[in-house]
Amino acid sequence: MRKKQLRLVVAFHTTAGAMAAEQLCRKQELEGRLISVPRSVTSDCGIAWSAPPELRSTLETRFQEAGIDAAGYYELLL
Amino acid sequence: MKQQTWFREHGMILLTGVIVGIAAIVLTACGNPKNMGFCIACFERDIAGALGLHSADKVQYIRPEIIGIVLGAAITAAAAKEFRAKAGSSPACRFVLGMFVMIGALVFLGCPLRMVIRLGGGDLTAVSALLGFVVGILAGVVFLRKGFSLGRAYPVPQGEGLILPGVMVVLLMLLVAVPGVLRFSEAGPGSMRAFWVISLLAGLAVGALAQRSRLCMAGGIRDAFMLHDFTLLSGFLAIWITITIGNLILGNYDLSAVSQPIAHSQHLWSFLGMALAGWGSILLGGCPLRQLILAGEGNGDSAVTVFGMIVGAAVSHNFGLAGAADSVAENGTYVVGGIGKAGMIAVVFGFVVLLVISLTHLPRKEQA
Repeated sequence: MRKKQLRLVVAFHTTAGAMAAEQLCRKQELEGRLISVPRSVTSDCGIAWSAPPELRSTLETRFQEAGIDAAGYYELLL
Repeated sequence: MKQQTWFREHGMILLTGVIVGIAAIVLTACGNPKNMGFCIACFERDIAGALGLHSADKVQYIRPEIIGIVLGAAITAAAAKEFRAKAGSSPACRFVLGMFVMIGALVFLGCPLRMVIRLGGGDLTAVSALLGFVVGILAGVVFLRKGFSLGRAYPVPQGEGLILPGVMVVLLMLLVAVPGVLRFSEAGPGSMRAFWVISLLAGLAVGALAQRSRLCMAGGIRDAFMLHDFTLLSGFLAIWITITIGNLILGNYDLSAVSQPIAHSQHLWSFLGMALAGWGSILLGGCPLRQLILAGEGNGDSAVTVFGMIVGAAVSHNFGLAGAADSVAENGTYVVGGIGKAGMIAVVFGFVVLLVISLTHLPRKEQA
């Protein structure tokens, strides 16, 4: 069984927010990928951005600068 | 720091799929139409008929399964402190999308859940619908990737989130206390029903479990293609496998493309109907079942979508858009059912409407 790793999960209010986050991170070469929002975060079945936890402050700043409205930042073992 | 357990990730969705499958088999054994233990589209159509919104006398009944699903989701969400009243995400567009999801589903004669139930009964006429559903979802995914959004929902007073659960309580009271004010089919699918308590309990169980697991027919396929995440899809497959096994055990499995219960052999239009339903479901963020669950959790936009689906059902029957089942004439000739010209025009018009909504909700160039 795959060993769980600590990840930063960024949830968004809309799927479009997650898409914009992916586009921005790809452009700025920030590590991460889209995932289905973990059930422990929300009962919504949306899409989230998963990244290494050390990128938290960078992502918070970059998303804010780009006008991407994150619904929350969570650290989870995934 | 929260940890994802295996059961939270996969066990709950598999359990939900199995329970939904068992509930569908039990409901059919107790009186619901064959291969229609559950069907969100058909049951909302029956509710529309019972309220007099259409006059197709064979499809009129207040289906307690729908009431149970919404109330089951509401109770579980409240118990888990997940009941959150929110709304404001393009409600008018959602109403129209709900209408066309319903029109597409009734062209095929079933929602995505009934499509899986029909496949589990060996109904090969549902294969073209499954293909269409996948193609519709892929069309929706293309627009999601381009940034399609109906906008975010905002917190609203609790009363807004209680609208659909409240409507369901009223429907239950009407069914139990004053059934005389409602219309009930005396023949056809609407007359085939399990005892209302059994239907209500099955709906409550499915609603509660679907709220916990986020079961969604459209979301499963979307996640598989977009994210290579098969968690939600496993619930879809669990229903299919459970129903297949149940039908094999009970001797109800009939692997065939002819004479299937409440089904037609116009494969192209089954394909296109479910493509319309799949595309619309992705734009809405969930299949018809999921809309009921979200409305139960307090989402006013999903409640509006459900109202749109009920109106879509009424429109389907008032304007002759819904599919007719294949049948056998008195002289023994097999009569292929399906839809007429009006239904075909409605499906094509539905694609145009979905395209317009998709294009007009993409980010403007300066936002992209």
